[in-house]
Amino acid sequence: MASNAAVPFWRSAGMTYITYSNICANLVRNCLKDPFKAEALAREKVHFSVAKWVDGKPQKPSTKQPLTPIEEQKARKRSLGNKWYTQK
Amino acid sequence: MAMITLRRQGGRLASLISPSSVNGAALLRGPSLVSEELDPKGARFVSTQVVRNRMKSVKNIQKITKAMKMVAASKLRAVQQRTENSRGLWQPFTALLGDNPSTDVKKNVIVTISSDKGLCGGINSTSVKMSKALYKLNSGPEKEVKYVVLGEKAKAQFVRDSKKAIEISITELQKYPLNYTQVSVLADDILKNVEYDALRIVFNKFQSVVQFIPTVATVLSPEVVEREAEAGGKLGDLDSYEIEGGETKGEILQNLAEFQFSCTMFNGVLENACSELGARMSAMDSSSRNAGDMLDRLTLTYNRTRQASITTELIEIISGASALTG
Repeated sequence: MASNAAVPFWRSAGMTYITYSNICANLVRNCLKDPFKAEALAREKVHFSVAKWVDGKPQKPSTKQPLTPIEEQKARKRSLGNKWYTQK
Repeated sequence: MAMITLRRQGGRLASLISPSSVNGAALLRGPSLVSEELDPKGARFVSTQVVRNRMKSVKNIQKITKAMKMVAASKLRAVQQRTENSRGLWQPFTALLGDNPSTDVKKNVIVTISSDKGLCGGINSTSVKMSKALYKLNSGPEKEVKYVVLGEKAKAQFVRDSKKAIEISITELQKYPLNYTQVSVLADDILKNVEYDALRIVFNKFQSVVQFIPTVATVLSPEVVEREAEAGGKLGDLDSYEIEGGETKGEILQNLAEFQFSCTMFNGVLENACSELGARMSAMDSSSRNAGDMLDRLTLTYNRTRQASITTELIEIISGASALTG
């Protein structure tokens, strides 16, 4: 029952269930062998731009973009799958 | 009857074609026997140049709309497959928690899903109208309703009259093919940035290429689910489920609500993308047809004017010749 023990940890780290499950999914994808792995990782591209509105005016939008392969490798080295996308 | 209307249109076109210098010529020459309408700059007949140019542009527009229709049709097939598969994601949640659109709560968040691009019929307007109706239904004293807007088109419509209620707007969602990771990151962003008791997701459910049903999916916050479960009713059965392991019911419900939201969003975004493509297909189909009709009408007018001028010339030649011999 490893998952039971893990629940309070990721929740107390400020993660939602969605983030947690995404990290897990990404770990599983990384376990694939190569032709499938590259395909699976290329499929899951994250890109959208978010703008918060205050008093009827949009604030500066922030964009989430997929990582280039080099950045991705760096990010993986930096943290073991914790930060799986960058916020620019 | 049709001939009469066409002739009338032809007449209107002829007067449109030669408006230039009609007044000037009349002023210079004063009263003349020659019809002003037929004689703009010393020309003997109505110029058909304008009609020809118009025909050319209509033809080009028709080509563009036809191409757009083909593009939408080919994209639709792939998206439709994914959409139909994604329905399996929310169905278990509805089986477990039910769909409770009528739950009365304080903090409402309406998530309106629309497209970034236009030329797709009325699907964006329908989801905006639906959202505004929901806003009215749920607003009241001590109640708060906020919009989270996905897509350029709905944003443009909300900015007009309900700017203040917009909380977050999200665009550029469809740069890459839609996937679950992307939508779940998005759902996570929304959850972190708004306070909610109920999230109401408005989108166009894809039924067939010509039919889209504006749909509301409701995701309740864990507290509200618990409250409703205690009050009995539709959610009353929730207590009969056994919880495994050491988690409390609150934790489970929290996880469920979050996961339910991201799954419902995923399906909603896909359904809406699919409806968008379907709507664009039918819109472009009808506009190509309209362009074809217009082209037919213009061709008829063009030929009629051309023939009229030829006939006049022939009559003039023949009558001139007969005047000489006679």
